[in-house]
Amino acid sequence: MQRRSLVLGGMLLSFFGAAAAAQKTARPKTTAAKAATTTSVQAPVFEVDLLWPKPMPNRWILGSATGLAVDAHDNIFVLNLTDSFNARTESGSGTNPPTGECCTPAPNILEYDASGALVGNWGGPADGYVWPTSNAGLGIDGAGNVWVGGAGAIDTRILKFAPNGRFFAEFGNASQQARGAGGTAGESDTSYGGVSPARPAAGAAGRGGRGGRAATPPLPANSTSLSMFGGADGFSFDPQHNEVYVADGSRNHRVVVLDGGAGAVKRMWGAYGNKPVDAEVTPYVPGGTPSKQFGSPVLCAKYSLDSLVYVCDTQNDRIQVFKRDGSFVKEKIIAPQTLGTGSVWDVAFSADPAQKYLYVADGMNMKVHVLDRQSLDELTSFGDGGRQPGQFYAIHNIATDSKGNIYTAETYEGKRVQKFTFKGVRSVTKTNQGVVWPATPGKKP
Amino acid sequence: MTRSRKLGIAAGLALAIVALAAGQHSLNASAKGQMVRAPRFEVDPMWPKPLPNHWVLGNVIGVGVDSRDHVFIVHRADTFDAQKEIGAAQNPPLSECCVPAPPVIEFDPQGNVVNAWGGKTTGYDWPESNHGISVDNKNNVWIGGNGTCPAAGRDDCPKGAVDSFILKFTHDGKFLMEIGMPHQMVNSNSKTSFGRVAKISFDYKANEAFLADGYGNKRVAVIDMDNGKIKRFWGAYGHVPSDSNLGPYNPDAPIAQQFRNPVHCAEPTPDGLVYVCDRVNDRIQVFKKDGEFVKEKIIKPLTKGDGSVWDIAFSRDPAQKYIFLADGKNERVYVMDRQSLDILTAFGDGGRQPGEFFAVHSIATDSKGNIYTAETYEGKRIQKFVYKGLADVPEQQGVVWPTKP
Repeated sequence: MQRRSLVLGGMLLSFFGAAAAAQKTARPKTTAAKAATTTSVQAPVFEVDLLWPKPMPNRWILGSATGLAVDAHDNIFVLNLTDSFNARTESGSGTNPPTGECCTPAPNILEYDASGALVGNWGGPADGYVWPTSNAGLGIDGAGNVWVGGAGAIDTRILKFAPNGRFFAEFGNASQQARGAGGTAGESDTSYGGVSPARPAAGAAGRGGRGGRAATPPLPANSTSLSMFGGADGFSFDPQHNEVYVADGSRNHRVVVLDGGAGAVKRMWGAYGNKPVDAEVTPYVPGGTPSKQFGSPVLCAKYSLDSLVYVCDTQNDRIQVFKRDGSFVKEKIIAPQTLGTGSVWDVAFSADPAQKYLYVADGMNMKVHVLDRQSLDELTSFGDGGRQPGQFYAIHNIATDSKGNIYTAETYEGKRVQKFTFKGVRSVTKTNQGVVWPATPGKKP
Repeated sequence: MTRSRKLGIAAGLALAIVALAAGQHSLNASAKGQMVRAPRFEVDPMWPKPLPNHWVLGNVIGVGVDSRDHVFIVHRADTFDAQKEIGAAQNPPLSECCVPAPPVIEFDPQGNVVNAWGGKTTGYDWPESNHGISVDNKNNVWIGGNGTCPAAGRDDCPKGAVDSFILKFTHDGKFLMEIGMPHQMVNSNSKTSFGRVAKISFDYKANEAFLADGYGNKRVAVIDMDNGKIKRFWGAYGHVPSDSNLGPYNPDAPIAQQFRNPVHCAEPTPDGLVYVCDRVNDRIQVFKKDGEFVKEKIIKPLTKGDGSVWDIAFSRDPAQKYIFLADGKNERVYVMDRQSLDILTAFGDGGRQPGEFFAVHSIATDSKGNIYTAETYEGKRIQKFVYKGLADVPEQQGVVWPTKP
């Protein structure tokens, strides 16, 4: 609370400074950062890799990134919205006729090797399956297969592909309902940038921002359905039991567990392990009575090596932890003052066998929280808002590779994937480290 | 004159001589698709330093460099998504981040914020949409504006235009002068006001400021730097400017005899020329300082929409041998020979990583020959490209990342 007051104080100062026109000198050191200095803790430390990934070929650009996963070879898969561009200002070579030499939307799924070179690209509508209107959530199972969800207003499916993009299966096929709801398959829901379609942006995103096309009327939520999903946004896998944990999702308010082969729904639950319901979501109130159900959206359900499930109840600013069967273990509120979309967008585990640390992507406060996984205590955080390396705009997904490096994906107009190199577990004194640039200025880490 | 400045000029001179000798060679090489001799740059991924106070930049719409190589930017502090981007500025705050930075920010050469100011206040008009920032040889700061009324017929906007004036401040943001009246109609022959000025540049010898005028008007206007009086103006080819609507640019149509909106830069040189960015017409037109037409160069003529010629900066050698042209539509910076107007090489590509661009809008050079670029729309960045001397480079360099030490 003290930190927050200081931040707001600084904010007010800056506003008044601007209004007083001209005499105020900006304060390069934030008072908040100073005040936040406390006793040291041992925590994993990271530095952004300024030059990862490598520039893409073909004048491709990345759209709003809404999914991210690392495979067994430490290759990084990124899911992005290829229709998230401003045709006039951004994708001049991707329009017909072209208006300029740059730029062209990259394919929906991009695969980078550890060096950041683009080694695969695929995805998008094709014969044999229906691509989501707004792809969101990407997971890679124990066999290397790629699972893709969709958070669009009429998206009910989950798609499963081979690593090279060969189609395997689709689950939750409710195309007739979808079409009946007023949309045609493949039609874009461009009000969506990766989070809840229930809360679109207020107005256009400034000059050059995307214009607001009317959104397709959403299908109703159905959080007890055995046949379709309500905007599946995140996946994780239990290879031992051949099960898939699905964050379901943008419209539904549940965790749903599938058979990894047939895709059949095996079990499901809501907040605290309650039976999920779709009653109107009450707004989150800091310090208020915690909601008995998940808010909207449910953005992650990550299965740990010690058989726990970590669920991102984004709007309610909390992680809830469950056993395999859905019995509730505990919860943790993160940055409890956060309103709007909420603070808990995605989580990833550290790469050590004990998965000692939990990394929380917070797309509203523009940072990554580093937690001790057992206690769920926050040890430190890093990142800040902005467009430079190590800064974020709407960090939507987070993943780790086998070496402990962190990857992040940004939606909305962030439109980036970034790598944060693991520098070991060290003594950290700052509760908020800010932007984690390499220690040696001007040199590639 | 400081020592570093002298050294800079000496180095520049040497650079110019070498370049001159290499000139013919590079032309031949260029024709064969081989390497060309040209100034080479590398992006500095850690410039500027992260802003304090959770500040974020909106559309960065102007960049200028002062006599101490401090870099000034102006950005649009109202170009954010309130919910997603500046949650901390809402009432009540939604989040810890972010807050719009003040419109004008001054960085030192290391990229630290050393001052920040600007915005609507009492005592003078602030543009509805600030646009372009330049620092003159007395370190005064000039700002234009390309705003229109948010809604036609509003009480405070009776004539349907707002930013028909420019502003002059001290280095630290103390108001000095408002030139032109707000709320004036488009009139490219006005002797009292302007039509949404994009950028201001200077001829110190004549004590004149050259205005790219602009988004409403279709002219270059020349004013006295002290009293702001309009001294002369002209349209494309030196014609009397006309405000007739030319419609959208069409590469197949006969070449336009007037500027299209916006006239986006007007840059005088010490050797008596003025280089004008006729952005949407994809061309640079060159004039003498009295408005007499000299020549023009078409750049990427198939470029539609926003056009290819957004802003230019000159190399800092005394001969100003090179022009650096920001093309915010094709997402590149062209390095041109200023005398021939030939493109020698290009760097940059579309994207959000260091050295990539989304709508590179403004460009400036410092005394060491480094380049600064500003990105509008959702680019919302200022970037620095470090001058690495003359080198043999390909015609398309792509993204110019630092080479390993």
